[in-house]
Amino acid sequence: MPFDFQRVRAEKLVKVYGATRALAGVDLTFESGRVTVVEGPNGSGKSTLLAILAQLARPTRGRVLYGDLDGQRGGARVRARIGVLAHAAMVYPDLTGRENLELFASLHEIARPRERVDELIERFDIARFLDRPTRTYSRGQLQRVALARALVHSPRLLLLDEPSTGLDERSVARLVHTVEQEREAGTILVLVTHDAALAERLGDVRVRLDRGRVAEREAA
Amino acid sequence: MRVLRAAARIAWKDLRIEARTGEVVLVTGLFAVLVTVLSSLSFYIDPSGARLVAPGVLWIAIAFAGVLAMGRSWARERDHDVMRGLLLSPMPRSAIYLGKAAGSLLFLLVVEVVLVPLVAVLFHLDLTPVLGPLALLLFLGTLGFVAAGTLFAAMGVKTGARELALSVILFPLVAPALLAGVVATRALFGGATEEVWPWARILAAFDLIFLASGLALFDPLTSE
Repeated sequence: MPFDFQRVRAEKLVKVYGATRALAGVDLTFESGRVTVVEGPNGSGKSTLLAILAQLARPTRGRVLYGDLDGQRGGARVRARIGVLAHAAMVYPDLTGRENLELFASLHEIARPRERVDELIERFDIARFLDRPTRTYSRGQLQRVALARALVHSPRLLLLDEPSTGLDERSVARLVHTVEQEREAGTILVLVTHDAALAERLGDVRVRLDRGRVAEREAA
Repeated sequence: MRVLRAAARIAWKDLRIEARTGEVVLVTGLFAVLVTVLSSLSFYIDPSGARLVAPGVLWIAIAFAGVLAMGRSWARERDHDVMRGLLLSPMPRSAIYLGKAAGSLLFLLVVEVVLVPLVAVLFHLDLTPVLGPLALLLFLGTLGFVAAGTLFAAMGVKTGARELALSVILFPLVAPALLAGVVATRALFGGATEEVWPWARILAAFDLIFLASGLALFDPLTSE
């Protein structure tokens, strides 16, 4: 059985980079089947919070609990259950979409990577352009492949960092639909965005960060 | 085993991209050829002098080409922020280091396959009798260079310092290994084959130190 959890809890998170205090004691809980939107001005600590939740950065103080497991001790077990979708697609421009998805599926040690990729191709309707190098994709096509990459290992925690930047209306609608499907499936979703309409539409909980602290928390 | 499997996937991915673009081998190969040709035009005096100069030219070309190859190879992880995608996966992070090092090693060995005959032709050297020991020296020297360079090139991706920092940090660090390579190759070209083995052992020791350091330091150096 893969490691699983229904809740992620950030406890008294502090992150200091040199003289800059990016997070100054953040306490937050993220629940399964709910979208938590994190808002705030530039430099308020949103990206740092996501980096720590994604295990890409270590907190200076405090901890993140994935279920009951401390992230510091979780290592690969925790990373195996986290997906990240950011503005950058995190795919190789000189590989095709299919090659990228198969690579990330194999790095996530998916038992049958090709079958899993086929499922995602169908879900995101990307067969038409998937055998071209991703450097030839439009922003919308790239985002669909990035979504498939982020979900290739069926993560329990999905972190979305400004995912709608540069997308047209149709692509945003597709993104919203995917987030809603993931919410239905019980994924824990954290969305960082400056897009007020997207936050309004998707947020079950809205959190506002300011200078590294939770300034406001509101359930929709 | 898990580390090796994941490293093989990373290296295979690099080979696949290289087979499609030819970017690393072509650019570094041309650069190494240029360095060798210009050096031969400047430094060649007579056959006995050539035996002393050729080893230095060969290793300088390899070192410069190596920095270029590793810089280009890691630039691929920078595009579209793919490095983050790799760090997010559950494979041991040392597998990224090993896979990238293996890919760079292969690229440089391919360049050397072109470079060695070119040095032989331009410096009028018959290298056929010493090909075996020369291949061993080049392999050991390149392995150490790549093992150290991969670690610092990865740091460059995270910090944005890139090739400049790679050169500034890497050359002083690998200078003893490069010196060992040059001295051993000079002994080999001069016919003193028995003098090669102690230097080869020193190169192997450097390889082990650089590889062990890379495996141990890659994770902490690439985390924020």
